[in-house]
Amino acid sequence: MSRGSQTIRMLSRTRRSMAVVRSSRLRRFGNERPGVTVEWATLIGRVAEGDREAFRSLFEHFAPRVKGLMLKAGANSDDAEEIAQETLLAVWRKAAQFDPVSAGASAWIYTIARNLRIDQVRRVARTGAVDHDAELDYLVDPAEPADDVMARNDEAGRIASALSSLSEEQSMAIRLSFIEERPHPEIADVLGIPLGTVKSRIRLAMNRLRALLDETK
Amino acid sequence: MSVTHHPSPELLAGFAAGTLDAGEHLAIAVHASGCSTCRRLLRAVEGIGGAALEAIKPAAMKAGAFEDVMARLDRSPPQSPAPADRCADDDLPEILRHYRIGRRRWVAPGVTMRPIELPVASRSRAFLLRSNPGTHMLEHTHTGTELTCVLRGSFSHEGGRFGAGDFDFGDETLDHQPTVGDGEPCLCLVAMTGDLRINGFFGRLISPFVRL
Repeated sequence: MSRGSQTIRMLSRTRRSMAVVRSSRLRRFGNERPGVTVEWATLIGRVAEGDREAFRSLFEHFAPRVKGLMLKAGANSDDAEEIAQETLLAVWRKAAQFDPVSAGASAWIYTIARNLRIDQVRRVARTGAVDHDAELDYLVDPAEPADDVMARNDEAGRIASALSSLSEEQSMAIRLSFIEERPHPEIADVLGIPLGTVKSRIRLAMNRLRALLDETK
Repeated sequence: MSVTHHPSPELLAGFAAGTLDAGEHLAIAVHASGCSTCRRLLRAVEGIGGAALEAIKPAAMKAGAFEDVMARLDRSPPQSPAPADRCADDDLPEILRHYRIGRRRWVAPGVTMRPIELPVASRSRAFLLRSNPGTHMLEHTHTGTELTCVLRGSFSHEGGRFGAGDFDFGDETLDHQPTVGDGEPCLCLVAMTGDLRINGFFGRLISPFVRL
């Protein structure tokens, strides 16, 4: 199995034409390199059948990354380790639910880690009133047709095109502020922009992403 | 359901990253569960989350982490997809069924509320607000923020008309007097920080009694 993921860069680094993205959008969803994406998705499929070697590969690649992201986002070392382990456990348990048409492997694993992080924060600050998995808050209305592969494929394609049309600075702004929760001075530093403009850059990036998603109707 | 008013992209990105306050989180969850446009934006941000995972500097796991997980995994075989929960005897959004909702309380003439218990202590309070058709809410401002999801019926104010599925955001810069649409009661989910400030002499007189 390729360990080429270190070379993966933000999708926007190599801007691609819409035509290219369209023709291979299944493989390009998320900011993942073709080939690598297909492999991770295939491995998740094998995990669904109980393949432990496939699981080991996923674990070795993703667990340290989940831990790294949690540390960046402010979790302490024990919590980050626990979320990383729990995330991979959930990958094992939910492998059969992974839908490679709708989401890239990394994006799917990201959402699992995010939900576990919310659960962990809730456990610490719980009021005692309610205890439910954050996952339930991200469920879609059951009225939504989920069986239409073409529609899911189109939707994934629209999202991939929009992400690939975002400039590198814009996707970095979104990533640093929302995903990694870095303070504004750090964002200013990484992007090389004045501190006073960070907030407006983030807003611009999100507005552009929304506009791009609307455009591709 | 045609949705014309959406949450800000920043609120949606915060929700996609799981970093919102519990009350705001619930308001965005409810809106997004019924809005395909916003779900698309959420999925795009989740895609950026996936890219962040690939780009992040990996942090070494503890020694024996894989073996520990393998041992735990032996106690939990792979699951097949859980059947979707489709009990639909209530007209509340699916997501709210996972939350505990308190008893109905009187707020003002024609207006009642039910508090929603949030899973964690939160800066904001969440509640269901039910107003009779044609109710004129008192002109008010906010000391904090107010996120509103219309579940049924409609209301209007200077910002436009808000029908089922629409999302409204108010803060201290807003001074408004919503009017509930005719025909059917308006049911909203509201997540609010701070307090309402009711304007005018009469409003100031009664505001200690209008508790939201």
